[in-house]
Amino acid sequence: MRTKLSVVVAGFGLLLAAVPVMAHHAFNSEFDAKKHVEFRGTVTKMEWINPHAWIHVDVKKPDGTVEAWMIEAGTPNTLLRRGLTKNSLLPGTEIKVDGYQSKDGSLRANGRDLTLPNGQTLFLGSSGTGAPEEKK
Amino acid sequence: MSQRFLTSMGGLAVVIAVMALPAVPVAGQAPAAAKPAAPAKAAPAKTTAAKAYTVPKTPWGDPDLQGIWNDATSTPFQRPAKLGEKGVLGEDEADQFAEELAEDLNRDRRDGGPEADVNRAYNEHWMDARRLEAVKDRRTSLITDPPDGRIPPRVPLSPERAKARDARAEANTRFLAGMPNDPEDLSLPVRCVIRTDSPPYLPTIYNNDFQIFQSPGYVVIQPEMIHSARIIPVDGRPHLAKGILQWLGDTRGHWEGNTLVVETTNFRRDDGVMYQNTDPDTYKIVERFTRVDADRINYEFTISDPQTWAKPWSAMIPWNKTDDQIYEYACHEGNYDIVHLLHMGRIREAAGETVPRPRPVGAPEDR
Repeated sequence: MRTKLSVVVAGFGLLLAAVPVMAHHAFNSEFDAKKHVEFRGTVTKMEWINPHAWIHVDVKKPDGTVEAWMIEAGTPNTLLRRGLTKNSLLPGTEIKVDGYQSKDGSLRANGRDLTLPNGQTLFLGSSGTGAPEEKK
Repeated sequence: MSQRFLTSMGGLAVVIAVMALPAVPVAGQAPAAAKPAAPAKAAPAKTTAAKAYTVPKTPWGDPDLQGIWNDATSTPFQRPAKLGEKGVLGEDEADQFAEELAEDLNRDRRDGGPEADVNRAYNEHWMDARRLEAVKDRRTSLITDPPDGRIPPRVPLSPERAKARDARAEANTRFLAGMPNDPEDLSLPVRCVIRTDSPPYLPTIYNNDFQIFQSPGYVVIQPEMIHSARIIPVDGRPHLAKGILQWLGDTRGHWEGNTLVVETTNFRRDDGVMYQNTDPDTYKIVERFTRVDADRINYEFTISDPQTWAKPWSAMIPWNKTDDQIYEYACHEGNYDIVHLLHMGRIREAAGETVPRPRPVGAPEDR
């Protein structure tokens, strides 16, 4: 039965496009797939604002200068439902950012993956969602 | 987590495009044979055989729909074409279908290369977890009529509407390229004007909750997203005068047995207001809310517009009761992306970048 259905539904993914999936905007309009960035930084502020939260991170460069980056996050309502709170990313928290930089070269990125010092992947779970509530 | 990944990257790219241009569907397949007017109620026998549910009443005697409800689901709006008229699956098939839908939608993955990866930054952490669950009645599409579970074919547009469609396509191309000319190149949802609060209510990736309140003569539906409540008189008063137009239209309701039936008219004429860019002069939408269980409302709607589709079509989306609470979604509070996109567009223009040529307007998938 399962094998048979696999044949029947093969390729259905293409058709899911008809579902009006509405994010606030497509990330590839603002962030550049050719500008993959990975860096470590220190959280200076997290803005819990709609439609998207923003995480501000100071990044120390090898020459000692500091760059202030903004990392775009999800909608606050969903973050809260996933167990993230205002105490989850306090100023001073060190995070590793894996994402894509703004197309115009500004110091903004979308956070494809954020990792805490203890190795916990904040937003990409190899099992479950990686949300704090699921780590209990 | 399963390692089987069935998603087509092409499919994902189209999904992303649809994010910003929800009004343009993928073309429906060829029309099915004529059928009775009543929408197909594709539900497994055991549901229809379930013992009758007694709908609770409010103190003033109306059916009680109050509570907080969630409509997230992985079940596709339109049935995958290869499933033909197979509207309901057997249990084993349904389990596998649900598993494959979840795998297809799941964004906790890094395959597919940078072009897919950049958009999956909206990974599952940002999403409503319930969107990976298929509907329990094992249907293969949310659309119940026509029998193929797909939106009917489009009819040719008038020259005026074709021109408006072409203009929208060009604006959307500029937006997706990250080089909008002006704020109006950004769609109404991106500008936080209207979003999933406009009928019909369709499942989306997050904030799928609705709260229903009732008082004598009124039903109020508050979607979590965007920021408006739909206040529906059910006291028999007429619609607003024809010249009074609103972003979410003007809704009137009445009770048919235990079902709340609502009709919405008087939509504004601004570009992007009408669902699927239908013609406001001929568009008709009727929504029905029926509490079928303590924990479920069947939300059904029928849409017609002879200037857009060859025939009317209908869908049913279950609303499941949730213990969750509604949060405020103050969409424009920190809508930095508007400024980012406009600023970025000017910088890239100055650097000599140009917007890629839009895809040919009037392409078959627009019809």
